[in-house]
Amino acid sequence: MAVDANTSEYVTLVSNDGYQFVVKRSAACVSGALRRMLDPKSNFSEAIENKATLENLSGVVLEKVCEYFYFYEKHKECKDAPDMDLPPELCLELLMAADYLNSELLGVPLWLELELTHSASMTTSAAP
Amino acid sequence: MLTGRGKGRIRPPRRVSDKASALVDIDKPNTTLHDVTMSPRRRRWCGWGVGDMCASSMHSPRSVGLTNPTENVDFDTIWKELQMSFIEIHTKDVSKISFEEQYRNAYKLVLKKMGDRLYECVKTFEEAWLKDEVKTKIQSLLLGGNLISAATVGIRGMSMNEKRVAGEKYMKEMKAAWEDHRLCMGMITDVLMYLDRVYCTENKKPSIFTATMCQFRDHVLRSHVAPDGPEPTTIENILISVILEQIQMEREGDIIDKTLIRSCIYMFEGLYETEYEDENEKIYLTSFELEFLNASRQFYQSEGESLLRNSDAGTYLRHTESRLREEQDRCRSTISPLTATKIKEVVEEELIKQNIRDVIEMEGSGLNFMLDNDRLEDLRLAYNLVSRIDPKKAELQKALQKRVVQMGAEINKAAKTAVTAVAQPNEKENGKEVAAPAAKAAPPPNAAALQSIAAIRWVDDVLRLKDKYDNIWAKAFQQDHGLQTALNRSFQEFINEFQRSSEYISLFIDENLKRGLKDKTENEVDAVLEKAIVLLRYIQDKDMFERYYKKHLSRRLLMGKSVGGDVEKQMISRMKLELGNHFTQKLEGMFKDIALSGELTTAYKGHVRQLDDGSRERIELSMSVLTNTFWPVESWDSTAKATCIFPPDIERIKAGFENFYLGKHTGRRLTWQPNMGTADIRATFPKVQGKDAALARERRHEINVSTYAMVVLLLFNNLPAGASYTFEELQTKTNIPPNDLIRNLQSLAVAPKTRLLIKEPMSKDIKPTDRFYFNENFSSKFLKLKVGVVANGNKVESEKERKQTEKRNDEMRGGIIEAAVVRIMKERKELPHQQLYSEVISQLRFTPDINMIKKRIESLIEREYLERVEDKSRPAYRYLA
Repeated sequence: MAVDANTSEYVTLVSNDGYQFVVKRSAACVSGALRRMLDPKSNFSEAIENKATLENLSGVVLEKVCEYFYFYEKHKECKDAPDMDLPPELCLELLMAADYLNSELLGVPLWLELELTHSASMTTSAAP
Repeated sequence: MLTGRGKGRIRPPRRVSDKASALVDIDKPNTTLHDVTMSPRRRRWCGWGVGDMCASSMHSPRSVGLTNPTENVDFDTIWKELQMSFIEIHTKDVSKISFEEQYRNAYKLVLKKMGDRLYECVKTFEEAWLKDEVKTKIQSLLLGGNLISAATVGIRGMSMNEKRVAGEKYMKEMKAAWEDHRLCMGMITDVLMYLDRVYCTENKKPSIFTATMCQFRDHVLRSHVAPDGPEPTTIENILISVILEQIQMEREGDIIDKTLIRSCIYMFEGLYETEYEDENEKIYLTSFELEFLNASRQFYQSEGESLLRNSDAGTYLRHTESRLREEQDRCRSTISPLTATKIKEVVEEELIKQNIRDVIEMEGSGLNFMLDNDRLEDLRLAYNLVSRIDPKKAELQKALQKRVVQMGAEINKAAKTAVTAVAQPNEKENGKEVAAPAAKAAPPPNAAALQSIAAIRWVDDVLRLKDKYDNIWAKAFQQDHGLQTALNRSFQEFINEFQRSSEYISLFIDENLKRGLKDKTENEVDAVLEKAIVLLRYIQDKDMFERYYKKHLSRRLLMGKSVGGDVEKQMISRMKLELGNHFTQKLEGMFKDIALSGELTTAYKGHVRQLDDGSRERIELSMSVLTNTFWPVESWDSTAKATCIFPPDIERIKAGFENFYLGKHTGRRLTWQPNMGTADIRATFPKVQGKDAALARERRHEINVSTYAMVVLLLFNNLPAGASYTFEELQTKTNIPPNDLIRNLQSLAVAPKTRLLIKEPMSKDIKPTDRFYFNENFSSKFLKLKVGVVANGNKVESEKERKQTEKRNDEMRGGIIEAAVVRIMKERKELPHQQLYSEVISQLRFTPDINMIKKRIESLIEREYLERVEDKSRPAYRYLA
């Protein structure tokens, strides 16, 4: 049934290198872009298939992104949540992913941005 | 700041309440990747070692995208793709489009700093779409029908139904166009989210959605329908006039499609005059609402006029109320709640403010009619409506006061005519009696009763009026404070207008305390007394009332006619509460006198018993010794001072008591008031032969008569049977004032049941030459008889008496004023004229005549209590010790 499919509980996210992640719809909707993309009302092809192929994101990054979605969902309501481990080498890409996906909470981009700013500055200062 | 956190950690999401601040923080550094600037400050935060960095391959943020940095971005190709998808969105065929692809397209363009081009292209594309597709469609509909002329010129030859159908069709079209535009723009905005988020925020451009909404406004709504027509009409104009027309239809009782109109109103509410989307610049407010209010104003103006012409006040009020409710409903269901207050003001202005005076004054159905017929519902409505426009309710108040005063004046007039009707003959006789005392007899005995009835009726009427308005006030006027004051003022006005109000109120109390209250419960007594107090409150000249009350009270006390001391005392304490201690002092003194007199009588009886030698038949005496200043002695009869000649027996007792009393209290003077007393006498009537059985034996009766009558009757003791006295003889023998003598003789010789004397000739009037015989044939079924004296009770004063009372009152007032002046001046020593006047007035319990004060001050100056201060710019007085 089309309707059932459209409002299914899980959606599939596909990375540019072909990894598929099946995540809860509610978790995916932490990202503004994904939410609109998969909105059953909009009728775009992603919404019909419940599957979004993210040409910008590699599997490694997308995995971390999905992890973050769940992490966010889990700690949405609590005050003192633990920090999430983030491998430094992924920081830049994660930052850009967050920007691209427009994660609603913006916690990701903020933290990544700060740390990235640092690394970027290191790079620039190292360049000359 | 947030720098203290460990490296490589994602901060947990904050709680909702923190979100706002989090957002602010985020906005500043910009989530854009292509424009990060380095500041030395930021450098200091760095906690990472260089070694850590090496792990990841880093690019400069400027060149980094998630796209391949080397990828060449060709604007035109990408735009073409996007444009295609837009068209598909507009034509509702999106299932083939990948959101992600288009989203990434926009993302790429923005990253490559082609946001402005993209932005402009989108706008141009939309403008063209709106112009070519949307507007054309609507225009063709308009040109097909005759709505343009219908809307602008007003239709002739178009039936109501046709109009409605055409209007609805047009509105449906507009609604569809608008909703479609919104939907499509929503989707396009979603696709272009990255553009909005990055490019528009950064360059302070209105978002794509806003921009295209403005375009809808300019290129659809405000486009001219027939540019070459004489009057350029826009789609907006037509839509507004169609909506107004529909509303008009509803006002006239038709049923319209409210939801459809509501959707069109949503459009007006969703569009703004400028791209800044200021809430006050909604097109709804700037154009629709203005027109709506204007049209409504016109409608209600003419409706108000026609209603005034064609319906009564009640209908008008009800109609107005339902219109108000209707408009509020309309704001909820058809147009916007934003307008609720404004349209309310329009209706209030046009239907209430403009016309309420006419409605209130409407002949035969206005406020007077409602008040007279206790139309509580209508009155409540009138009150509610008036209080909407005027917190003071001036119009209502004015009309109300006018009506109360009017009704009061009628009551006054009725009472006056009743009084003059009976007082007229009375007046005449009084005049004649002065000239020739024995010329004429007193007026028919029921005249006084009639007057009393008139007085009681006056009070009853006033109370009924008061009850009525209290009821209306409580039930219809929500116990409004201002109106209560107004009502009180009106009552005060007409009650004080009536000169006899003090007297009548006192009479009313008298009547109730005399007999009316006998078989009433305590609560009823309370209610009656409370009523009396209510009226008393309105009386301005309280001293007049006090005078009358004293007079009536004295009669009640001396004649033993009062129901009971308790109720009397209750009344006094109520008055004390209401008017102050000072007012009731003398009244309380009267009660004390009566109590003391009782003791005195007992003491005197004991005294007499001791002296008694048993030689003579004892005559018992009970007396009331009254303090001159407490009792209204002067009102009893001025001529009573002329001493009556008592028979020797009585004279002896009188002297005996005087001795007894003056022996106890030295330095006092007793003045006898024979006209106030009564006597119990035992009379024996001889057998009369040859008559019927009742007269055939000796008859004894105990007869209660007035003191004067007793004196007269005792004279006949010494008279041989068959002998007689003339009126003149009686007068010289007793020295009773002629008026009193006439009255007593009337009750003794004229009243059929107590005819102890026979008068010759037999007539109602008493003439100086009339002869009086002892009536040996008297018989009565009762052992005990009471000979009432004509007009002995409390009754309404005649005009002459009233003048006297007033004169006496004025004299007393003069004294009070002088006392007040001296009191004030003694304290102040020197006082300007005006201030003295105002202080005097504030001390008085009545509203004094200014002239009277002036005269009193002059008299005080004459008697050297005061002097004028000469060297002052304003006139002033000085106290002379």
